[in-house]
Amino acid sequence: MFQRVPQPPVDPAQRDAERHDFWPGFIILLIGALLVFGGAQRLTGLDTVEGNSAWETQLIKTFSSGGLQYADQLAPPAPPRPTGDPAADAAALARWDKDRTGATPPSWRVRVDTGAKTPCPT
Amino acid sequence: MECASPECRQRAPTPLGRTLSRLRPWVQTAFLGVWLAPLGRWLHAIPGCVFHCYSCPLSSFACPVGVAANYAALLPVCGEVPYLLIGILLAVAAVSGSLVCGWVCPFGFLQDGLARIPVPKVRLPDWVGSLRYVVLLGLVLVLPMVLGFKGVPFDEQTISICRLCPAGALEAGLPYSVKSYLAGQGWLMSWFKTAILVAFIGAAIFVHRPWCRMFCPLGGLLALFNRFSLFHLRFNTKECVECNLCRSRCSMGVKVDQAVNVSGCIRCLECTTCGALEPCFALPKKARGVSPQY
Repeated sequence: MFQRVPQPPVDPAQRDAERHDFWPGFIILLIGALLVFGGAQRLTGLDTVEGNSAWETQLIKTFSSGGLQYADQLAPPAPPRPTGDPAADAAALARWDKDRTGATPPSWRVRVDTGAKTPCPT
Repeated sequence: MECASPECRQRAPTPLGRTLSRLRPWVQTAFLGVWLAPLGRWLHAIPGCVFHCYSCPLSSFACPVGVAANYAALLPVCGEVPYLLIGILLAVAAVSGSLVCGWVCPFGFLQDGLARIPVPKVRLPDWVGSLRYVVLLGLVLVLPMVLGFKGVPFDEQTISICRLCPAGALEAGLPYSVKSYLAGQGWLMSWFKTAILVAFIGAAIFVHRPWCRMFCPLGGLLALFNRFSLFHLRFNTKECVECNLCRSRCSMGVKVDQAVNVSGCIRCLECTTCGALEPCFALPKKARGVSPQY
């Protein structure tokens, strides 16, 4: 059961019927439908890990799977494992150091990892 | 104060109003099968139109609020605009307004269930509804954008709508925390977020839909379209006998006797029990025929 809420007397004859016109809602619906159609088929300006352009749906799915990669957060390549040959290990280490210091930064700032499956850390 | 109309005590709920009132919990339950569909994880690529955390183990569709906040954080980095999200929200809002809040949203359904616990309810002042827009502009749009401009990815932003969201705490944090606790790995969710969850559940017992009334950014956005959405409530002057049934049935504190298609309404349609308020769908004039004489 509900409790009656006291209210001042109202005059129904003075109140607006609140009838809605068709066209404002319909036009907004059309705009929304166009955006849905365009967004579903739209390639974003972001790249995927595979090198393709990411669809907008791929980007949205990435939000919930922790798949956004930022260029400034990329880990540097790991140093080469020792093989037991000191000369070869020294050469490999020198190559690794040269590659690391001479590497050009990636051309992308953010990219999409479509294969990520990390639950969003809410 | 007693109602001035002598017919106040004689007004019985209309059959349509009674039917809608009884039907609503079943419709809300049915939609749980949509939002919690175990096979729906592949639908995370599509934003939904209700408040439901996409980190929930059973969730389908992407939370529109989370998607909006992520895009806001990305905007300074790559300038991406969420056309799909905006389109879905515009389409839903244009057709139904906040009808999804009252009939479809799982989080609203949860609050409706908690409100059924028979304890005295606290009535909130009207102005609390404005806080929804503070949350929408501040937590969902501006803060992620500012932190994104500073190079902080959304996942690493310690203050964000997702970090504070009780839906995320309940639907994602709680199951993962219980799972890790049972596995002997401790309680995964932070105590702050656990406190938010406990506070929310407590509030929902004593206040009708506290999240919807005070903080929900999605509901606030959808409700802005209540004034011109195709689905709306129409007032029939001839049927009104000033019985006050409409305002008494409203759990959201809307002054239904003055105006009903307002931003505080979740379109639960409980007020239609009085008979003077009718749910209807706007049609072109030719399809309507002669306008009714209200």
